[in-house]
Amino acid sequence: MSWITVIWSINVGACLTLAAMYLAVWCKQRESWVHLLFSCSAIAAAAVSAFELGMMNAQTVERYQALVRWIHVPVWVLTLSFVAFVRLYLHAGRAWLAWSIYGLRTLVLILNFIFPVSINFRAITDIRHFSWGGEILSVPVGLPNPWGLISHVSLLLLLIFFVDATITVWRRGDRRRALLVGGSMIFGAILAWHVPLVIWGAIEVPFFLGFTYTAIVAAMGYELSNDMAQAAQLAGKLEVSQAALHKTEQDMEIAANAVDLALWTWDIAGDEVRLSHKARAFLGFSPSEKLDTKRIRSVIHPDDRDMLRKAVKNSLQTDAENPVEYRVVLPNGEIRWLVRRSRTEFDRNGKPVLMHGILFDITERRLAEERFRLVVEAAPTAMIMVNKKGRITLINKLVETLFGYNRDELIDQPIETLVPERFRSQLVAFRHGYLCDPQARPMSAGRELFGRRKDGSEVPVEIGLNPIHTSKGLLVLASIVDITERKQAELEAARQRHDLAHLARVTALGELSSSLAHELTHPLTAILSNAQAAQRFLACDDVDLNEIREILNDIVTQDERAGEVIHRLRLLLKKGEPQKHCDDVDVNEVVTDVLKLTRNDLINQNVTVDTKLAQNLPAVTGDRVQLQQVLLNLVLNACEAMNNHNSSERQLLIASKSENGTVQVSVTDRGGGIPEGKLEQVFERFFTMKKQGMGLGLSICRTIIDAHRGEIWATNNSDRGATFHFSLPIVGSERGSDH
Amino acid sequence: MPPPPSLTVFVVDDDDAVRKAVSRLLRSAGIAVAVFASPREFLAQYDPATPGCLVLDIAMPDFNGLQLQTTLGEKGCILPIIFLTGHGDVSKSVQAMKHGAFDFLSKPVKDKDLLTAVRAAIERDAVARPEQAKLSEIRARVDTLTPREREVLEHVVSGKLNKQIAGDLGITEATVKMHRSRVMAKMKVQSVAKLARLTERCGIN
Repeated sequence: MSWITVIWSINVGACLTLAAMYLAVWCKQRESWVHLLFSCSAIAAAAVSAFELGMMNAQTVERYQALVRWIHVPVWVLTLSFVAFVRLYLHAGRAWLAWSIYGLRTLVLILNFIFPVSINFRAITDIRHFSWGGEILSVPVGLPNPWGLISHVSLLLLLIFFVDATITVWRRGDRRRALLVGGSMIFGAILAWHVPLVIWGAIEVPFFLGFTYTAIVAAMGYELSNDMAQAAQLAGKLEVSQAALHKTEQDMEIAANAVDLALWTWDIAGDEVRLSHKARAFLGFSPSEKLDTKRIRSVIHPDDRDMLRKAVKNSLQTDAENPVEYRVVLPNGEIRWLVRRSRTEFDRNGKPVLMHGILFDITERRLAEERFRLVVEAAPTAMIMVNKKGRITLINKLVETLFGYNRDELIDQPIETLVPERFRSQLVAFRHGYLCDPQARPMSAGRELFGRRKDGSEVPVEIGLNPIHTSKGLLVLASIVDITERKQAELEAARQRHDLAHLARVTALGELSSSLAHELTHPLTAILSNAQAAQRFLACDDVDLNEIREILNDIVTQDERAGEVIHRLRLLLKKGEPQKHCDDVDVNEVVTDVLKLTRNDLINQNVTVDTKLAQNLPAVTGDRVQLQQVLLNLVLNACEAMNNHNSSERQLLIASKSENGTVQVSVTDRGGGIPEGKLEQVFERFFTMKKQGMGLGLSICRTIIDAHRGEIWATNNSDRGATFHFSLPIVGSERGSDH
Repeated sequence: MPPPPSLTVFVVDDDDAVRKAVSRLLRSAGIAVAVFASPREFLAQYDPATPGCLVLDIAMPDFNGLQLQTTLGEKGCILPIIFLTGHGDVSKSVQAMKHGAFDFLSKPVKDKDLLTAVRAAIERDAVARPEQAKLSEIRARVDTLTPREREVLEHVVSGKLNKQIAGDLGITEATVKMHRSRVMAKMKVQSVAKLARLTERCGIN
């Protein structure tokens, strides 16, 4: 055997060995495509070497033609592999160049098989022999194919691609790779030009293209093996650090045991669960028992297993750190509440490998909560617990009864569900305000509150609020009382009060009837006299139209005056509806009105009236007619008290003033006064000091003033007579200041 | 018969509108009117020499119609008073009647009623006024008498003889005669019968 055959065969063998090795590596690590590429390159390089050997030993033209034709296949594979290797492994080289090379090389391969002989030769006519190093080598003689130029162009492009890629890698700072891989590739691409030179007889050497390719493959292999060595090193380090980690975990476990924390770790792949001593105690395991998930599951309360499994599944997928509360059943049958917090660790492929966390015993808290729930359930009023977001967290049976909802329909629903729509926005604002200053107090603050049932009907309610500070933040416990019946009773009482007040008013007006008739008499007299005067003036020849005009104006004025008297009377006589006449009332106007009504009566009784009314008196809220009634009563009483006194002493003083956020009115007489000790009694029903009194007037006055949230009281004057006072709260200061 | 220009009807009423309307009505009948808002105002300005009558509201604050009637009576004023009353003033009306009120008209008052009453009152005033003047003159004459002469007068008109008078008064008959002739002279009468009529008119018995 010639030495050329030996050397070239060794080269083939070496290349194939490399290819086999890296193919094996690729089979284990399918994702590293570089190894496959490398194997392809090595196989192609072996093939090229084998073809070269075949060509150098070829004895017939036909054989040579076949070899020249088929060598293009491994060359195509080799070129493509190199370019791909540069792109994928070195991350260098321009894409357009790469694709141009692919295209041209593939075109060369196609044309090679279209032409009768090959892309290099139109025909091989003969075989020339020459001697080199003691061996006789064959080279072809024939007509060159002009299309062979494409092959050269592609080789040139390949050279440019390699140079460019090498420069990129060099600039990137990876000089060793640039020199080794890029350099060998550039060198190889240059050396490839020896083939045409040998064929055209320019030089007489054996083909050594296989060796240049082998050199490139070797350079590539060197780099790859370098990487693999590094990876192995890293793996070693990882092992060390994992060992350290394991030690840390063990240390942690020791520390956890030392401070009595209930820690746990779950090695997912090995399904091994490690617990600190405390955690073992929580779950009722002996310190030495080996644990897996199945064993853990066995101690969890059957009702909580599903919930817990879902939670674990969730944290395996999302690494959610949601705490989960569940029960475990201890060997002695005792039930314990635990809360579990966990963390999941994933490998670089996103696969969960480890879960660890901590357990807390919350049995006490849960029992307290349970006791609290039972207390709420047993409470005699409807109770609703609401969290900071305004969602219902707890209700009792009475809430279901009151609102017609089932428990499940309300839990976790906004509290606004139970409120009529028109109050909802107010409620949101109120809630925010309350959370800023949470304290136990009634919710209403003078307003009427309504709840909304499931069927849409409304129910008047009274609500008490209690803030409860818990581990889950601030909760508000609202106790709700249905006040429908109380409301009706209140309405009924108000109606009765109203009726009685009306009765008293009518009675009082009866007493005043002659005086009131006088009030009408005056304008009627004026009207009649004016009208008849006008008739007489008109009967004269010389009519003074100005006079007539004046008379008519006076008639109109007086008619209006009579109308007013009737209107005032009608108001007082009218029964109206209870609590429907709440306006802003000027108390001074009430005084004036009453004095107009009683004017004649006072004259007839020879009572002189003085008034001391404060200017700019703020308004009060109330029923004007009822307030008139109170004052009328006080005035008539005062007159009556002075009945037996000398007419020159019958003096009445009505005064008004504003004091301490109220408007105060006082009626002072110069009568006999009230016996000491009866100052309070005079306001009682059926108490009277008059001969014909029923003892209702002042009690009605007190009822009316009470309904106005005011006060009424009596005092004796220092010299003689008594004074009755009443005070009424001033309308809200923001409106009061307008007056 | 048109009343003399100085004749005036006084209207006293505390209600502006009523006062104005009533005065207007009276003026429409050609009667001169003076209005006052209160009895005090009236008293301050009233000249008793003015003939006419008074239209007075019975119910007024402070100083009412009845009080004014009393005050005027005390002053010997004979001005006829027509009271205007509302309903239900019966007791006051009776009281006024007792004190010699000329008429009562209830409000609202018809023009005919008021004018008739006013005219009647004016007429009465016109008649009463000369009588009153005469009476005043007699009174004035009586006032010129000395106390003794007055005593004598009283005895004379009661129909006693000089001798009886002298006995009663403890003086001589000649002195009685002297007083008697002076009384006749001062009273400007010639006969005892005339003297008796005069003294009867001014209420001396």
